[in-house]
Amino acid sequence: MTGPSGAGKTTLLRLIFGTEKPTGGHILIDSINLNRVRRPKLDLLRRRVGFIFQDFKLLSSKTVFENVSLALEVTGARSNFIRKKTHQTLRLVGLEEKEKAYPLSLSGGEQQRVAIARAIVKDPSILLADEPTGNLDPGLTEDIMILFRSIHMKGTTVIIATHSQNLLRNTAQRTILLKRGRIAGER
Amino acid sequence: MRLKFWPYFFRQALININNNRIVHFISLGTMVVSILIFSIFLLMFVNINMWIEGWGHSLSMSVYLQDGIEKEDHEKIAFHIRSLQGAEIKHFISKKQAFKDLKDALGPEAGFLKILSKNPLPASFEVVFKNVGGLRSDSQKIKKELENIDGVEEVQYSEEWLKRFEGLMNMIRIVGVIVGGLLFIGILFIIINTIKLTIYSRKEEIEILKLVGATDWFVRIPFLLEGVIQGISSGILAIISLFSVYLFLSTKKMHFLGLGVLEFVFIPCDYTLSIFLISIGLGLGGSFIAVRRFFEI
Repeated sequence: MTGPSGAGKTTLLRLIFGTEKPTGGHILIDSINLNRVRRPKLDLLRRRVGFIFQDFKLLSSKTVFENVSLALEVTGARSNFIRKKTHQTLRLVGLEEKEKAYPLSLSGGEQQRVAIARAIVKDPSILLADEPTGNLDPGLTEDIMILFRSIHMKGTTVIIATHSQNLLRNTAQRTILLKRGRIAGER
Repeated sequence: MRLKFWPYFFRQALININNNRIVHFISLGTMVVSILIFSIFLLMFVNINMWIEGWGHSLSMSVYLQDGIEKEDHEKIAFHIRSLQGAEIKHFISKKQAFKDLKDALGPEAGFLKILSKNPLPASFEVVFKNVGGLRSDSQKIKKELENIDGVEEVQYSEEWLKRFEGLMNMIRIVGVIVGGLLFIGILFIIINTIKLTIYSRKEEIEILKLVGATDWFVRIPFLLEGVIQGISSGILAIISLFSVYLFLSTKKMHFLGLGVLEFVFIPCDYTLSIFLISIGLGLGGSFIAVRRFFEI
């Protein structure tokens, strides 16, 4: 999903995630209407949706490991499983060496990878990513896109909001152009 | 909430207190001082109430005897008086002693007493009644009983004083309840707002927990546990501080409304327990109210 600043890319992601309510129309996820869903159900629904925020939203008082495992802690998963899955995911994003570090001691790119790890650790049905490669160098961007593709291949719907023309050129997936909150083009 | 979450909640509450120890320390200090102010008020109220009640419970009466009765009659009257409930004879003042006391009281003016051909003052008993309750109806009943004893001329006590005493007791109780109530409301606001500020500094944490799919209770419980831990700590510290204040005050010689040295007591056990439970309630309630407003994510 692409478009100029203010086109509504982030708003659309937030609407799908349920942090914003639509003023018109309906959003359906697995036949669940987000307009009518009650709070407890929305919390459970969010466990099936991973969100990579543009500003990462990491807890500075928690280590990299704790930030990532948090997404599993809230589901009530067993501690053995949490530990194993968190290690696996951190290895996947290349941060296994940094699991005891605190977010503020990491570079922007590393923080972004922690945010990605937290979003994918719970094997979500839908992965929403708001400018996920904005702080990464081209090499790492390619690695992350391969990661997204592999997640997609496993059956996860991946929606990426991006400005990066490079990213768009190298993808064979469906691309939507948004302008002033409306679809202005599609490829 | 499932049982398996509880170890996580307790661990999280303790980690949060440790990670935010400065904010918690400030919040704890505010709670201790606020609860201590209220407890000191309670301590003073309990003691003043006790002093005044003790004061009113001792009713003093002067029993004047008829002139010309024999010494054996004095003994009979004294026996009668002692048989009345709570009565204690403080002094017997003979006619001679009464005259001497008057002479001493008049000092240089006492010369005119010489013109009297005989001593006109009656002998009397000074009687104190314990645990009368300060009620005027009780006092009048006692007065009548004393006047019915053979050889008793007249009984006197200050009705006006009792009237004032009852008024004073009621006033102190009303003022106590109003001041105590206002103080409690003020403290409630201070504590809730302090906890709100503590939780406000962790707004981002709540937001992130909600964004990764935590339910309201999953977020709320560690905060409530922190509130309970804070309530328990501040309750214990406030009670220890109150006891120190009590120990300090009990070594002083206390005077109140011109009475003699007064005994100072600590607040009763049920009051102490109430202070402790109120502290826990404030910590828990404050956290509950404060955390609620950050859930609209």
